[in-house]
Amino acid sequence: PVLAQNEAPSHPVKGKITDDAGQPIPGASVIVKGSRTAVTADANGEFSIMVHKKDVLIVSYVGFQDKEVNVGTTMTFNIGMVKGDKSMDDVVVIGYGSQKRRDVSAAVATMDTKSLQEKPITRIDQAMVGQMPGVVVRQQTGMPGSGFTLLVRGTGSISAGTEPLYVVDGFPLDVNSLNTAGGFSNGNPLNNLNPDDIESIQVLKDAAAGAIYGSRAANGVVLITTKRGQVGRTRLSINGNAGISQVARKLDVLKPGEWTQMATELENDKWVASGAGRTADQTIAQRQAILGLASNVYNTTYMPDPRWSMPGHPGIQYVNWQDAAFRTAPFQNYEVSASGGTETVRYFVSGGYMNQEGTLINTGYTNYSVRANLEATVAKRLKLGFNIAPTYSVINAPAAEGKDNQLMHLYNMIPVVEDSAGLNTGAGKNAVYGWATSNISPVAYLNNVIASNKTTRNLYTVYGELQIISGLTARSTFNYDQSSLDSKSYISDFVAGNVTDRLNSPGKDASGTYSGFTKQNYVNENTLNFVKTIHDDHTINAVAGVSYNYVHLETFKIATAGGFANDLVTTLSNAIPSPAGVTVTGTTTESNNTLFSYYGRLQYSYQGKYLLSGTVRRDGSSRFGKSSEYGNFPSLSAGWRVSQEKFMQPIDFINDLKLRFSWGKSGNNNIGDYSAIPTLITGAVGQTLYGNYSFGGSSNATAVTGQVPNGLPNPNLQWETSNTYDAGLDATIWHNRINIIFDVYQKKNTNLLLTIPIPAASGTTSQLQNIGAVQNRGLELGIGATIYRTHDFLWTANGNIAFNQNKVVSLGDLGDLINIPNAFGLGYPPFILQKGQPMYEYYAIKSVGILTPDDINNPKVAKLPKQVAGDEKFQDANGDGVIDANDRVHAGQPTPKYTWGVTNFFHYKAFDLSIQVYGQHGGAILSYIARAIDNPSNGLATTLGVWRNRFMDTRQNYNAPRGRIYSTYAIPYTTTDWIYSTDFLRIQNITLGYNLKSILKTGLFSNARVYASMLNWFGWDKYKGGVNPEAQNTNLTNGTYPLPGDYGAIPLSKSAILGVNVSF
Amino acid sequence: KQLNQQPPSTTTTAQFYSNTNDFLQAVTGAYNQLRAYPDEVLWMGEMRSDNIYATSDGNRDWQLIRNFSPNLTTVSFVNSAWDNNFNGIYNCNSVLDNLVTKGTNVTDPNLRARFAAECHFLRAFYYFQLVRLYGEVPIVQHVMTASAIEKVKRSSVSDVYNLIISDLNTAIDSLPNSYTTVDIGRATKWAAKGLLGLVYLTRSGPTYAGVDGPTQGTNEWNLAMAQFNDIIASGQFTFGASYPNIFSYTNENNPEVLFDVQFMSTNNGADFPSQLTPLSYWGGVGIAGTYGNGYGSCTFDISKNLRASYAGSMGAATDVRDTFNIDWKYPINTSNPPAMDTANPFIKKYINIAKRGVAYNDWPINFIVMRYTDVLMMKAECILNGATGGAQSTVDSIVNLVRKRAGIAAVSHVTLPMLMEERRREFLGEGIRWNDLVREGMAVTTINNWITADGQSSTIGQVMPAFVIYPVPEAEMLTAPGLYTQNPGYQ
Repeated sequence: PVLAQNEAPSHPVKGKITDDAGQPIPGASVIVKGSRTAVTADANGEFSIMVHKKDVLIVSYVGFQDKEVNVGTTMTFNIGMVKGDKSMDDVVVIGYGSQKRRDVSAAVATMDTKSLQEKPITRIDQAMVGQMPGVVVRQQTGMPGSGFTLLVRGTGSISAGTEPLYVVDGFPLDVNSLNTAGGFSNGNPLNNLNPDDIESIQVLKDAAAGAIYGSRAANGVVLITTKRGQVGRTRLSINGNAGISQVARKLDVLKPGEWTQMATELENDKWVASGAGRTADQTIAQRQAILGLASNVYNTTYMPDPRWSMPGHPGIQYVNWQDAAFRTAPFQNYEVSASGGTETVRYFVSGGYMNQEGTLINTGYTNYSVRANLEATVAKRLKLGFNIAPTYSVINAPAAEGKDNQLMHLYNMIPVVEDSAGLNTGAGKNAVYGWATSNISPVAYLNNVIASNKTTRNLYTVYGELQIISGLTARSTFNYDQSSLDSKSYISDFVAGNVTDRLNSPGKDASGTYSGFTKQNYVNENTLNFVKTIHDDHTINAVAGVSYNYVHLETFKIATAGGFANDLVTTLSNAIPSPAGVTVTGTTTESNNTLFSYYGRLQYSYQGKYLLSGTVRRDGSSRFGKSSEYGNFPSLSAGWRVSQEKFMQPIDFINDLKLRFSWGKSGNNNIGDYSAIPTLITGAVGQTLYGNYSFGGSSNATAVTGQVPNGLPNPNLQWETSNTYDAGLDATIWHNRINIIFDVYQKKNTNLLLTIPIPAASGTTSQLQNIGAVQNRGLELGIGATIYRTHDFLWTANGNIAFNQNKVVSLGDLGDLINIPNAFGLGYPPFILQKGQPMYEYYAIKSVGILTPDDINNPKVAKLPKQVAGDEKFQDANGDGVIDANDRVHAGQPTPKYTWGVTNFFHYKAFDLSIQVYGQHGGAILSYIARAIDNPSNGLATTLGVWRNRFMDTRQNYNAPRGRIYSTYAIPYTTTDWIYSTDFLRIQNITLGYNLKSILKTGLFSNARVYASMLNWFGWDKYKGGVNPEAQNTNLTNGTYPLPGDYGAIPLSKSAILGVNVSF
Repeated sequence: KQLNQQPPSTTTTAQFYSNTNDFLQAVTGAYNQLRAYPDEVLWMGEMRSDNIYATSDGNRDWQLIRNFSPNLTTVSFVNSAWDNNFNGIYNCNSVLDNLVTKGTNVTDPNLRARFAAECHFLRAFYYFQLVRLYGEVPIVQHVMTASAIEKVKRSSVSDVYNLIISDLNTAIDSLPNSYTTVDIGRATKWAAKGLLGLVYLTRSGPTYAGVDGPTQGTNEWNLAMAQFNDIIASGQFTFGASYPNIFSYTNENNPEVLFDVQFMSTNNGADFPSQLTPLSYWGGVGIAGTYGNGYGSCTFDISKNLRASYAGSMGAATDVRDTFNIDWKYPINTSNPPAMDTANPFIKKYINIAKRGVAYNDWPINFIVMRYTDVLMMKAECILNGATGGAQSTVDSIVNLVRKRAGIAAVSHVTLPMLMEERRREFLGEGIRWNDLVREGMAVTTINNWITADGQSSTIGQVMPAFVIYPVPEAEMLTAPGLYTQNPGYQ
């Protein structure tokens, strides 16, 4: 409220604002309480202002606690400010408003964004790694520029997505779930957004906080606030950093000599097994004679390459494929921003450029971003504002990760090539090396393809806020988010098709596509906000609103039908006809969804001591059946600031203590558009699946469109809901030196949108139903502490730890257990949903060592048919004498049991150092890439290093980690051999900074700092079957379940960076 | 109001089935699952028979089929054949149900009847395939909800046969004798009669101990022969003069063909020609890489006693079928001179390199399900099993007609074993041999003898009567516990 100012201020004061270390704080703002009079401290931290003697000055600066000073008769002030680590005075953004942390009665995690600018971070999700308790960011890919997965308080939904709702400056972005392979098909909501523009990030973890976002809050809500201008002079800021990245680790596979030795043994074994009278000591010439082959013809199954054993192995080269494909890649990032404002207009403008080459050849990410925020008070009671953020990015991402893509080839490519082919083995005119699989060199492939993904993203918000009467404001916002992807892919026939075609019909086997999508998200929100304090004791804050959300998605794809005329032009204008006479094929699709919502919230506070808050939201979604499209999502929360009670006053040790309790319901509709509508399916152009057929024989062969039902429809689909109870404690103790935030919660998701297997006799093998329940229980603790402080030295630390226990509570009438087969059609189902167990628990036959001759002779030891001594031994878990599906055992859960992070900050004079460490424990990965390269029996691929210690007849090692290289029994498709712990510990960031202000005695800069950072440089994990324990790149269940796994990943990068921040 | 969103890019069931064209597309959709049939009979039929002995380069999915492992429940072929055939049945049922409720939208009553008849034929086709593969299966004649289907148990083979026979008789009543131009390839009356004859013939075969399998010992040789006689008397079909010409890429749907699965390049390509082929063969024709069956350096050799069988029947002449069906010697690389493989003959019957499409699964060649020669020889089989109205001379003349076309000497006093061996040579690669063995009660003895004769006892297990059918896929057993009982002999 604006107080009347009857007489002009007549009391001139001046002052200097300093921090703990006595350093001036330029840019700190000084406001006369209750007025609009404000000034900003100059480069020396000094200010002067005219005031009344009765006035109170409020001094504030980002990262420091606000300080109030009574003017009185004092003319000169020396104001020392205290760093506010996680002060109770911090403003916390909540849905449709903000609150001081002391007044919050729900579970909200706040991220420290101060150091964001000085990290070589390319994405906002990357910035959140390991920072907040209960918020797990999974770095599932090492591909630069790709989105990460965010999981708030465990996985609640089985089939309907687990990604949170992102809200940027009040604009709820469209929720885009992971696709079943673990990536983001139609754009991650955080794509292209520049982390340098971020002012704050808050995560609403419980339903009471999130319920105001109702329908889409079941997986948490991430509120992102961008930087805005503040009243005062213009601040110009420049950030720049540059450095290099390398892969953080490589995969241990057999070295060339080790591989040729094992391949020789395998060929001998196969030779011996291939017929009577064949022995391992027969020479190549003898074997050729027996097989009737000429002396220059080698049967690669039964004979080694003679050159392997020659000194210097003439004519062939040994290659380290990983060294050839990974590189040291430069990184650079610059941002310039200007902000400032007057009483009536505040603005922030920034421009950023970032370029990050990938550690894998031919990958990289470039982002150009501009942001402008402006708010103007255009009339006494009316504010108007807009935010504009146009961005453009290019990601070069050839099909590297995932099953049958280049990294899988890279990891199991044998390390031997012909001299004449080198790294281009199998490509161009080079044949595949005779003892290798028919794979084209992945290095040649990556160097000869174009895979360029250009994303244009425009985020616009326009809003108006009208103060109707004192305390009552109406706000209307129009938000528009357009995100467009244009992908160009070109695969040269140098690395496609076969040698004959390359020679006889060049270009025929080249292929290219041009594809992409445009997604438009339109959100209109209208809210009324009422604030009233009655008799100083009762504060009421009420919000009511209505919003409408419309999302439109269009996709397109054009692809070559018959190749390219040559390698010179790579656009589809150069495409040539297929045998059917078509040059290109193409298709487009569209889809829409709408959401209509009403919501309200009432907050009440009595003397700032007793806090009550209730919300209700009603959402209608077009994704559900007509009778079930609306869902109601209420919540209640209460807080008690114990420290405000009289009986607490004598306890000096506790500065602030608050207890919180909350309950709320939120929903999930993340099932894709039109899932409730029975549809038909037909083959897309050039696609033979689903319904299409041909008739007419030779003479009249005609492709015919067919339409078949698309699965078994379920028109009764409705909202999945989650019910969360949370109890929490916020405390500041020991002279404000320690902050504690503690929460326990139980979140139960019911009416799960769950794809369940049904008998194939129905015509389909699975159906989406509302069935079952999943519960997450957990405990979260965040602590911030000032550990040591002297005049010159400051040591502070933040730590967080979160335990989450996930279990399936009910599977409806499906009984106790759903078996989920793997995508590869083989073996016993390795995943289960079982009552009382964590979701998607691994369930596999346990490998327990090597069969000894005693085992073979002992009929009580269960064996698979045809096993011999030296083969792998499997556990007969149910003791029935046979190894089968009933011997599967619980073998680990995909999500970790607890996650933690610790950040230490040190300041010494002009130096500052921060070290951030994080880790996770208790999870496991079932790795199919490990399985793929752990199988030496076909001899045409290399294998994991684990085979160095193998069992051989000549070296009967019954402690070997694996059985014989050559076996004739059917190895169970999935065993515990390929389940690895995902425990890891990473030193995510080490940054050493130096404040140049202490040597540059000039008023030119208000701030100047140089720093060096090491990102992800050190780390430890237990994943010996892959390179990244968090990798996700291939769906493991034929797309029915969102169960992504690792089938060949790019390692995460480690980076070393030098950077500078300067502001004027 | 805005919450009522309809998909702009997919057809909804509510809009569909509103005119003749919609139903035409739905019927076409019912044919689509036929595409899975060739691979099904090659990997689950030919692979199980004594026609080939395959060698594996590791632990391969098909190996368990070839080895007569009792542990087949998770093999992908076993799984997908179940799923695909039931999906085909579901597609047929969807059309049939909608013909009941919205059938008048097809204004031409004859066309309406034909659509229904085509779906009855296809449903019988899919069910017959299921019975031969799995024995007892659930009977589903209408679209059912997920909860309803979880109560449908497996019916006896006899009940499933009743549905098949009833469907085929319905189809015979309304299907046309033939089609012209772009409709060629649809089910005809004669295709339905041929299938019905084969159903009777199969059902007549002797049962296997403890197995409710495709053979029921019903001795309906007369019923079977009546169907074959009708086909022969119709004059719609002729005995092809040249064996290779029957399988020519440019001579599809020739007068030999009663029914085939239609394929064409690019939009509906076939992958069966490159199944059961060794990878090294593709290296020799210079198109290694994506070609082949996806099983690395596995080989799929013609069994030794089949090689001997061709040679034994050769006499002085050369058996045309031997040279056409089998590649005995082929280059394995493009060097000059190329290295040759003479040790791994394989079925090259359907491969025509010049006609290949854009990928290994894009061969524009139809897969013949039943041809006139088969009808004639099945008639001979009926006679040798004692069908009335047949004579030994008819049998001899049929077999000699076949042998003459193959360029080999005539025989007389043809016995059932001789007939079955002639069929083996004639239909190599057509997915017929395994069904023949099962039908004539020979599956256990013949295969066990062959395993010994070909020296394969160390890899291939003992054949048990239970193995004439496959197990119910593990996925189905686990989906609704207790709903299905597993076939005996499988774990």
